[in-house]
Amino acid sequence: MSSFFAVAVKNQELILSSLSRHLLICALSLALGIIAAVPAGIFLTYRKKTAKAVLAVLGVINTIPSIVLLGVAMMIFGLGVYPAIAVLFLYSLLPIVRGTYTGILDIDPKYLKAARGMGMNRLQILRVVQLPLAMPAIVTGIRLSAIYVISWATLAAFIGGGGLGDVIWMGLQSYNFRLVIWGALPATLLAFLVSWLLNRVIRLTQKHISREVAQ
Amino acid sequence: MVRFENVHMSYGEHAVLKGIDLHIEPGQLAVLIGPSGCGKTTTLQLINRLITPTEGKIFVNGRDISTVDPVELRRGIGYVIQEIGLFPHMTVKQNIEIVPKLLGWDEQKRSARSKELLKLVGMEERYLDVYPAKLSGGQQQRIGLLRALAVEPPIVLMDEPFGALDPITRESLQDEIMTLNKKLHKTVIFVTHDMDEALKIADVIILMKDGNIVQAATPKELLSHPANEFVESFIGKQRQAVGKLDTVREVMSARVVCAPDDTSVVEAVDLMRRQRVPSVFVLNKEGGFDGQISIKDIQSFSCTGDEMISRLANKQIPTVHPEGSASEAFKIMMQENIDELPVVDGDRVVGIVTRRSMVTSLAKVVWQGEAHE
Ligand SMILES: Nc1ncnc2c1ncn2[C@@H]1O[C@H](COP(=O)(O)OP(=O)(O)O)[C@@H](O)[C@H]1O
Ligand SMILES: [Mg+2]
Repeated sequence: MSSFFAVAVKNQELILSSLSRHLLICALSLALGIIAAVPAGIFLTYRKKTAKAVLAVLGVINTIPSIVLLGVAMMIFGLGVYPAIAVLFLYSLLPIVRGTYTGILDIDPKYLKAARGMGMNRLQILRVVQLPLAMPAIVTGIRLSAIYVISWATLAAFIGGGGLGDVIWMGLQSYNFRLVIWGALPATLLAFLVSWLLNRVIRLTQKHISREVAQ
Repeated sequence: MVRFENVHMSYGEHAVLKGIDLHIEPGQLAVLIGPSGCGKTTTLQLINRLITPTEGKIFVNGRDISTVDPVELRRGIGYVIQEIGLFPHMTVKQNIEIVPKLLGWDEQKRSARSKELLKLVGMEERYLDVYPAKLSGGQQQRIGLLRALAVEPPIVLMDEPFGALDPITRESLQDEIMTLNKKLHKTVIFVTHDMDEALKIADVIILMKDGNIVQAATPKELLSHPANEFVESFIGKQRQAVGKLDTVREVMSARVVCAPDDTSVVEAVDLMRRQRVPSVFVLNKEGGFDGQISIKDIQSFSCTGDEMISRLANKQIPTVHPEGSASEAFKIMMQENIDELPVVDGDRVVGIVTRRSMVTSLAKVVWQGEAHE
């Protein structure tokens, strides 16, 4: 046991810098994912035919093994952190687009009827009614993406992206399995933490909404 | 104010409206009534362009609405949807103040307005910060109504707005709508499936069936000259058949709600709510009839609620004998403007004659008379 922590202390610098790199990669790709996917999801609610196609394409992307995509990205962008972010960004899209799209379409039409009847324009309906009511679904999509991104980011190391994958990689190469765990454990904990945090956000967003549904 | 010219509406093959011609004058309270699925909601939604007719023209304020910007059109038309549709993520205050906010009212003006509106429907100010999920169905309906009235639009569309209300609140809101219509000269188009409601509030009743208007007439005309058998049966179906119009016993309802004279006002109100009646009869120690007290009386007195009802009861209210003549009873109700007339035998209350029993019997007589001709 003591040697388990000794490994951590010895590789302290590596683990910490990898963790912060990991956080950075995840945060960046997720942020880009949200910036692209939420408006895309909203837009698609006005173009239902396009929506089917887009969701299908994103679905296919998400079934391609990440290692393949990483390889492709490496061929395009070269080694480093950018291809890693590009791939994670791509993966993050589907859950958020789908969450936004279905979240908005699942809203009971009576609210839209009321909103239109009051003389709200499209943008006002979106801001005042649709987004707040779809928020639980949107954040659920973001949470799903966050978990994917955090765990898959460990693969970024393979194309020189850095992050906790570096720690795992080094552990594997030197047959130091304690070090492998010091790479895997923080990534897992990070995923749990973010998932828990976002669950609280989801509960906040549906506070008054779900009670109405329950009635 | 609102005019339909040969309006047709179809969903695919399904023709929902089949040539509606309609003219509602400014300041009129028009009631659309008819069986479920006959096209009432559809007609209403055509007026604020929530849907577009397949054929025909609709004019609001003399303007063909297909040439008016829908958003602008709707700002001048209040709309209470059938499903209420309060926004669950907003408080009562936020819900009521949506349109004022869209129109750029400042916080002070908005706030004053929502307080004023709540008072209108007898709800306390503390409800301002409550979310819709915490309200009863009746309270939600009232807020839905207020939301539509917030900026006093010249036209108000209401789709079965009182469905979930208890009779007491329903009555008072019907009165409120009539006041709004008469005092502020709002044009109101009101959908209901309740003929009593229509007869009470309407200037003009528009009776629909299968996407057509069967008859558009004042309540009086509708009762005295129903256009056809459907109209007759529609009015008749709404009422229990009664025997020939002879004695009070035959038109009265035996369901009376009584309370001993030492009941407190609070208890009496509670009793009325539970029994869903607007008034109760007061009984003395021996169980004899000793007056009547109505929710309206209680509202108009300022009382703490602890008083005994015997002090507020109306002991001068006229009564009739069960074997007395029904038309005499109706005459008393009309002359004295009484909604509910106690039927008393000796000193025992045996029944009650209501306006509803009156309308029922009169309608019956009118049609039987015509059938003999
Ligand atoms: N969006 C729609 N698509 C297809 N049919 C509809 C739609 N809305 C209403 N209808 C049909 O139109 C008819 C009239 O509906 P509606 O106006 O809601 O009736 P009412 O309000 O009198 O009960 C019904 O048969 C209903 O099924
Ligand atoms: Mg309807």
